[in-house]
This record gives sequence, structure tokens and C-alpha cells, in this order.
Amino acid sequence: MAVQRKRNRKTFIGLFAAVLMLSAFLAGCTNNTAETTASDPESKSMLTFAWPRDIGEMNPHIYNPSQLFAQSMVYEPLVGYEDGGELKGYLAESWEISENGKEYLFNLRQNVKFSDGSDFNAEIVKRNFDTVLQNAQLHSWLGFISKVEQTEAVDEYKFKLTLKEPYYPTIQELAVVRPTRILGAAGFPEGDDTSKGVAKPVGTGPWVLEEHKVDEYAVFARNEHYWGELPEVERIKVKVIPDAETRVLAFEKGDLDLIYGEGVINIDTFKQLESTGSYETKISEPVATRLLVMNSKKEQLSDERVRQALHYGFNKQAMVEGVTSGLEAVADQILSTNFPYTSDIDAAAVEYNVDKAKELLDEAGWKLPEGKAVREKDGKPLEIELMYNSTETIQKMMAETLQSEYAVIGVKLNIVGVELTTQVERFKANEFDLNFFSNYGAPYDPHTFINIVATEGFGFREAISAYPNKDELLEMIAKVPQTTDEGERQELYSSILESLQEQGAIVPVSYIKKIAIYQKDVADFKFPANRDAHPFTGISLNK
Amino acid sequence: MGVYIIKRILAIIPIFLLATLLTFGLIHMSPVDPAEAYLTAAHIQPTDEILAQKRQEFGLDQPLYIQYLNSVIKISQADFGTSYVSNKPVWDEVSSRMSATIQLALGSILTAIAVSVPVGFLAGLKKGGGIDHLSRFLSFFGASIPSFWFGYLLIIFFSVKLDLFPVEGIGTWKHLVLPSVTLALPLIALYTRLLRASVIENLDKPYVLFARTRGLQEKLILGKHVLRMAISPMVTGLGMNLGKLMTGTIIVEAVFSWPGFGRYFIEAIFNRDVPVIQCYVLLAAALFIISNLVVDLIQMYIDPRISSKGITER
Repeated sequence: MAVQRKRNRKTFIGLFAAVLMLSAFLAGCTNNTAETTASDPESKSMLTFAWPRDIGEMNPHIYNPSQLFAQSMVYEPLVGYEDGGELKGYLAESWEISENGKEYLFNLRQNVKFSDGSDFNAEIVKRNFDTVLQNAQLHSWLGFISKVEQTEAVDEYKFKLTLKEPYYPTIQELAVVRPTRILGAAGFPEGDDTSKGVAKPVGTGPWVLEEHKVDEYAVFARNEHYWGELPEVERIKVKVIPDAETRVLAFEKGDLDLIYGEGVINIDTFKQLESTGSYETKISEPVATRLLVMNSKKEQLSDERVRQALHYGFNKQAMVEGVTSGLEAVADQILSTNFPYTSDIDAAAVEYNVDKAKELLDEAGWKLPEGKAVREKDGKPLEIELMYNSTETIQKMMAETLQSEYAVIGVKLNIVGVELTTQVERFKANEFDLNFFSNYGAPYDPHTFINIVATEGFGFREAISAYPNKDELLEMIAKVPQTTDEGERQELYSSILESLQEQGAIVPVSYIKKIAIYQKDVADFKFPANRDAHPFTGISLNK
Repeated sequence: MGVYIIKRILAIIPIFLLATLLTFGLIHMSPVDPAEAYLTAAHIQPTDEILAQKRQEFGLDQPLYIQYLNSVIKISQADFGTSYVSNKPVWDEVSSRMSATIQLALGSILTAIAVSVPVGFLAGLKKGGGIDHLSRFLSFFGASIPSFWFGYLLIIFFSVKLDLFPVEGIGTWKHLVLPSVTLALPLIALYTRLLRASVIENLDKPYVLFARTRGLQEKLILGKHVLRMAISPMVTGLGMNLGKLMTGTIIVEAVFSWPGFGRYFIEAIFNRDVPVIQCYVLLAAALFIISNLVVDLIQMYIDPRISSKGITER
């Protein structure tokens, strides 16, 4: 018996030791390269910031799970999108468009090298475009892709793109982060099909991926072959921190130099950190507009007077300021004026006016029966549903505000929180009364927005069903990309956007902005005009 | 004994089939189309053309029963398919994140045992004493506090204020401390209570009186006999919680940016990455089954009376 007990005890101790050793071994498995010299957070010339997701595969020609900012640090486009919608030459120094609007000749920048020292030329540009065009269907959301007829390397530094039909937004669309940025020869896999992956992340951009631990961090080092002005900071470390609160705590502790983006931290936290005065903060220009879409195909909303009443019936100023603590600005236009062709657009702004709202509803036949709180017409109550993305606090709070505001004018607003994907699906299937939507922003707009409006099965085309000039609007929208005359294009944009807004199915609510908060030693932080890109070119550290 | 183990292992197969069917059914009951979810996450305007292409690529254009059969056949060949999002084999994605999750789970089990065994045992020995009060506090605190909030509190105090541990990430033993404690707290609450109650119960058993009358040393009675008998419910609890522990890492992994597969699973849910979700559910099911089996075996080992009874009854 005693021997048995002794054996038992030994086995127990052995088991415990085994568990301990296994856990130590596993700890060893995961920490072998975690703290290398390259990622020393104390490094004077390394900027550290947090991002919610891993940077993903560094492939310039695919989408998920690659993160746009990271792709924009390593890869460059032929043309870049700058403030106010100015299109600036990047890898193409200049370009010429043929009179019929079908041929684009790019004069490429000379003496540009990829990060591995190889040469940049027309041949490699053609190879990139050809690879992307092999999967044209996947990229068909980008208008010019399906219109490309031919790609040609005219000589070493001249690249020609021929389209089947004129499509004016081509140059602007080349500025997007994916899928047309340029990969170096060493990055191509066997068979050239980059949709299956790249061999090496070789680009011409200001940064090179130096170290990457999936789900942990990535370190980018300065590309010493960069053709432009070299960034002052030598390295950028991106820590993957999915939780917003943890990001803030890491920032407060000083582990992070910078947090930036859209919705990356809670608005109240941002305000609170700002009020301490210990950090620098910055808010960008509008990157997109938060819109309230009213489905005019629904019976109650088919009457323009009802739609207008719902616009007059809420205090936009108070709602936007209250909900976003001033981080978003009240929007008077569907697209903010910093996009191309939008600066002259001046749709009549609607001021908050409860009496006017009530009057319009009365006129439309929706009367308030005595002793009741909800208006009725032919015995039917004025009940409308607003769909919002349940994970987005701003949408939720705005929905609640609208609910109480509309109650005052006798409209019963039911609010329904759904997942983002469901929101998109229901919008497309036309299963909504009111819905929040925001446009894609720079460099996609204004042409992408109006294109979405006209696209069948996307939601907008059905939502504007009650517009008497719908057919005319669709015709104008179809005409815009084919225009070769600037004046005509501007006129079309003005008429389309003004008409869309004035008939009340698309209500601008607020301009969405990016935020940044950084330690005092970070200098020259700038928001790029392109919503998706962040090449971190000018940033410096004064440690 | 050998036959018993083989029988238990064979019983895994129908449970697995049921788990695959349930996961498959539940995923497809959701109104969200995985192809649409992929495009939304990729910031691509979901045109019908791209949607059709993605559906075909993911095999979503096939009838449901074919999709299900295909996935079961593949899984039976240990092929969990390809992730919709990353385009890489699911097993590679999951297994590369597994060690981090196991490390966290083991860390928290060890923490839980290290705290709850002495506290629960001593609390049981001296009912109403100081340690008993401490155990009661731990139990209520641990059972009622949400783990994500407790995690934040630990970070604020031990990391931001005292600078003893890193806020987030993985790497050294220091990185493991706060997430392990966070994950261990509800376990500590449970095990301390279990052990305390069991010790109190055992102290009243005739064998203790018998041992005392035989003149055995009190230390020996308590340490050898009472603790050994009393620890049995705790071992059961531990086994039953192993699967739960794995799934419990999801929140802790998110709070502490721990690169395990719990965090990966959350992303998969949002992206409707069906093969990943399926793989995760199957792994969790396997873990529940296997941990229960292991617990049964340990129980038999600790208390041979169970082994003879258990096997004949089953």
C-alpha cells in the first residue's frame, strides 16, 4: 500500500512537471523572435502605432485580408490623389489622353528602382496590368478595368493603355490602393498569377516590409532606393491591437506613438485624452458623407412631402454635435466640396423646422388624430423603420435621436440594429424604409457614388423610384464617364447631385473624418487625401 | 479498461457528425451570404458579377446537401478546406495560432490550481476563518466580474500605473501573467468553492475519525487522505472547464491582443469564413469530448472505486 502511494505521488509530481514544461516549451515557441533589435520600441527613429488587424499578405493585387495602409506604404500607383482631388504623377510623371478619350499614354518616371534594386520600366508596368486583367471579373467594381482593350509598353518609359470606350475616371481610378499598384519583378510568382500570392513584397514605395509576425506586429524599414524624399523616421512598427480600449491603454503607457484612423477609438476617450493636454490631436478633412437614405419605393415615403418633412423634422446640428462630440461636421451636400467636380454644387440646404415638417405631413394627408401620438392616413399609422449597423455606435445613437425627434412630429420610427453585411444585403434587396449609408470617399468619388446610384440591385436605384425625373437622371449618370469635355462633365455632375438631394431620398447628415492622436514628440503628421492610403512620408520623431 | 477507452473514442464519430451538421445548419440559417461578407470586408462594391464569381469560388453555388457532404468528406480526410478570407488552408491558419492559445489556457489552469487548491483547502479546514472569508470574496468576485473588465482593470493597475507587465502582446513570461490571471479568475472562484465544500464534507467522513483514532498524524490525515478525496470534484470541474477555457480565451485574447485562434475565430465569424468556423467548432467539440475522457481516467486513478463501478455501469 505504502509503495503504491509513493508511486502515485511520483506520478502526480511527474504530471505536474510535464504540464509546466509543456507550457514553458510553448512559451518558448512563440517568443523566439518577438523582441529583436529591429523592433526595439525605445529606438529613437522608430514610430510605433497600433492597427486593429494584421497587415495581411503584402500583395498589391488582392483585397482581404491585406490592409490598405500597409499596401500603400510599399506599393505605388502611376497616379496619386492629392488634396482637393488633384491628380499627381507618381510612377508616371505625366500622361496624355487622346482626343477620343480612349488612349492613355503614360510617361513613366525614370531612375526609379524597386526596393530590391531592380529597375522600374514600362515592361514591368505592363506585366502588372496584364496580371490584374487576367482576373478582370474580380476587379470589375473598378470601372476602367472592364474597359481595357490593350496594354502596351511603347518604349522603356512609355506605357499605353487603350480602352474600348472613353471613360474619363480612368486616371482617378489608377490612384486607388488596389489592385493596380506596381509590384517588382522579383515579386511575381511562377506563372505570374498574383491572385494566388506574391513571391516577395517588392515595391517602389517609401517602405519595405522588414519583419512580420502574423497577428502580432510588422516592422517596415525605410526603402533606401526610394525615388522621392526619404522619410525621416527609419522604421515604422505596426502593432496589431484589435481592442480599442487596449489600444488606448497601450498609448497612455507610452508603448504607442500614434493612433489614427476611422472609428479606431471611442469618441469620448478621444475627447478625454485631448483634454489632458498631454498629447497632440488632429482631425482630417471630410473623407466621406454619412447619408440617410429614404426608400421612395415604400408607400409612405413615395410622397416627396413626407421625405422633406423627415428632413426638416430633425435638428441635424444638435444631433451631429451631440453624437460625435464635434468629430464629424454637419453635412449640407451629399458629397463634400473637397472632391472633384463638387465645389460648385449647391443643393438647397434644409434648416431644422418642426412646424414646417408638421405642415408638410398635414399637406400629404398624414393627420394627427385627436388623442393619438402617431399620424394616420386612411386609418394607417405613419410608421417607418430605420435600419442601422448595430456595431457602429454613431449610427445607433443617431437612430435613437431620430426616433425621439420624429415622435415630436407624429412619426413612429422603429429602429432595427443589424450586422453590417445584413445591412448591405437588405439595402440591395430593397428591404428597408430608412437606412444609413456612406459613400466610398476619395479617390473613388464622385463618379463611384453616382454609378452606385444608377446600378441595378444596389439599393439607390430602387430608393429613388418615386423621382419623376428618374429616367433622365439615369441617362445623365450613364453619360458622365464618357464625357471628354470638362464643362459638360461639371454641368452633368451639378444637375445629378442637386436633383438627387433636392428630392429628398438622399439626406446628407454629417461629414465623416479621420482622427489621429499622438505623443508630443511626433511631428508633421498629415492625413493623406486618399482615404485608404497612408504612406507615412513626411512624419518625423523628436525623441 | 482498453476496450472502454476505445469505445469512448469511437463515440466521438457520431458526435462529430452532429457537430458538423449543427454548425453547417446554423451558419446557413444566417441571412448573411459569405461572398457578400467577403466583399464588404474587402471594401469592394458588391456587384452581381463579383458576387457570382466569389460564390462559385467558395462552392456556394452548389445545393446545400452537396456542400455539406463535400465538407464532411473533406474533414474526414483531415482537410478543413481553404479560408475564404486568406485563401490559405484553414488547418495551417488554425494550427499556427494554436500554441498561443494553449499557452494561455495552460497558464490560466496553473494559476487557477496554484490559488484555489491552498485557499479552498485551508478555507475548508477552518470554516469561518480569515482564509474562508478570503475564499468567499474570491468566489463572489470571480463569479460576478466580467472577464474583459477585469482584464482592463489589471492592465490599468499593473501595467499602466505600476509598469510591472506589458499592456498587450506575447513573448515573455511577463506577457502571460495578466491574461492568465484574467482567464483564471472565474476558475479560481469555482474551484475554491468546490474544494472548500468537499473538504468540509470529507472531514465529517468516518475514515477521518478512524484515522484519528488510529493515532495518525493530523498533517498526514489532512494532506494525504482528506485532500486526495476532496480534490476529486475539482478535477471533474477542471475537465469540464477545459473546453470552456479554450472558448473563454476568445475575449481575453481580444483584450490582451493575444495572437491565438480565439481572436482569429472572431474575425472569421464577422467575415462568415465558413471553413474556419467549422474547424473551430469541431476542435472545441473534440476538446470537450477528449477532456471529459481524460478526466474520467484521472478520476479512476485517484479513486479506484470509481473505476470498477464506472466501467461496469457504462
